[in-house]
Amino acid sequence: MEGIFKINGKEIKVSFKSDAVLLSLLRENGCTEVKEGCREGECGSCVVLLDGRLVNSCQVFAASAAGKEITTVRGIGNIHSPHPIQSAFADSGAVQCGFCTPGMVLAAYCLLKKNPDPREDEIIEAIDGNLCRCTGYVKIIEAVKIAAKRMRENG
Amino acid sequence: MKEIKWYFPDNLKEVSALFKKDGVIPHGGGTGILKASMSSVKGLIDLALLPLGFFRVNNGTIEIGAAQTYAEVIENMRKIDPEHILVKALSVSASTPLRNRITVGGSIALFPPWSDLMGPLIALEADISLYGSREGDFNITSYVNDRHLARGNLITGIKINRDRWTGYYYRETRTHFDYPAFTVTILLKKAGKVIEDTRIVIVGCTGRFRRLLELEEYIKGRDAGEVEPGGISEKIKIDFTGKKSLSPGYIRHLVKVRIERGLATVLGN
Repeated sequence: MEGIFKINGKEIKVSFKSDAVLLSLLRENGCTEVKEGCREGECGSCVVLLDGRLVNSCQVFAASAAGKEITTVRGIGNIHSPHPIQSAFADSGAVQCGFCTPGMVLAAYCLLKKNPDPREDEIIEAIDGNLCRCTGYVKIIEAVKIAAKRMRENG
Repeated sequence: MKEIKWYFPDNLKEVSALFKKDGVIPHGGGTGILKASMSSVKGLIDLALLPLGFFRVNNGTIEIGAAQTYAEVIENMRKIDPEHILVKALSVSASTPLRNRITVGGSIALFPPWSDLMGPLIALEADISLYGSREGDFNITSYVNDRHLARGNLITGIKINRDRWTGYYYRETRTHFDYPAFTVTILLKKAGKVIEDTRIVIVGCTGRFRRLLELEEYIKGRDAGEVEPGGISEKIKIDFTGKKSLSPGYIRHLVKVRIERGLATVLGN
């Protein structure tokens, strides 16, 4: 099959298998920031934004995502111009092995877009589909709080 | 997997024609299809272009389109009744990214034993709207018990009455993300102190689900203060098959405890 995919604002024409999932398509086309974990929709390391909604890219058929806006963690900021959430993760030590970080950052991004001043239970709910085996979540939750505060203060 | 043909119809008539092809099934969010065996699937009908993403409230009825995701149902339902049983049940289902993808239609069509949607829909006595060879609205219990209804018909949405119930929902899991071994849904409506109506549904038992009509009949019409939840579940006869780490007897015991706690919650005792 062939389709046009809008990834981080750029349109690309891609050939893919009819049963391919979005995760494979993204990784095979250079988006290695989208991590492959369980491939069962349980770990959240492969999450992306599909038309602004957080989804597990391993649970989305690529064919059904053609023509939609796909945003990976690289689409919200990079090392030269990090998003406040990415800076907060680095500043608060919320990154250890880093495998879950792209997913955690995108989950936090979705939360803060809808709710700029979340309570701790709301942060926990927002990252309920993202597993971290290193940090115990304490620093991740702290990072989301710091990012929220900075984003509120800086508009 | 083998080569699968994708179809992107923009009207229901086209879907009907596609249903006549062998091995062609609808695709909503895709999460259920990816978990199931794909060996007999030859084609997928993507429902994204069909007008099935609606959420309407008219004349005491709530209509939810088959393409609404769990997240959208929670969002829309919260606006009209934040304590609604669908808000309670779907909010604890799966995870945020999966709730953004799992659709109402897909959940009903597949009815997995861990479903968080079916218990509430059975308790609400929802109607399932079908398009195809048996077009019309069908009570959910009839739909689930008559698999012929599923063949050649597309679920277009559900209809539920906009009644005010006090609701309780419980899912038995070891960790939040686990598939539940069973779920308990209890709805209760009072007129003053008298229990006007109640509905109790267990999902995950032998036969997939069971509405506890005998217990409902016992409770209905009584003064809420007279109903003592402790020991009330001894009246229930319900069977389970064993799970990996839970024997049928232990599951039965857990269910009874949860029914009693749920009743205490909705009765406000």
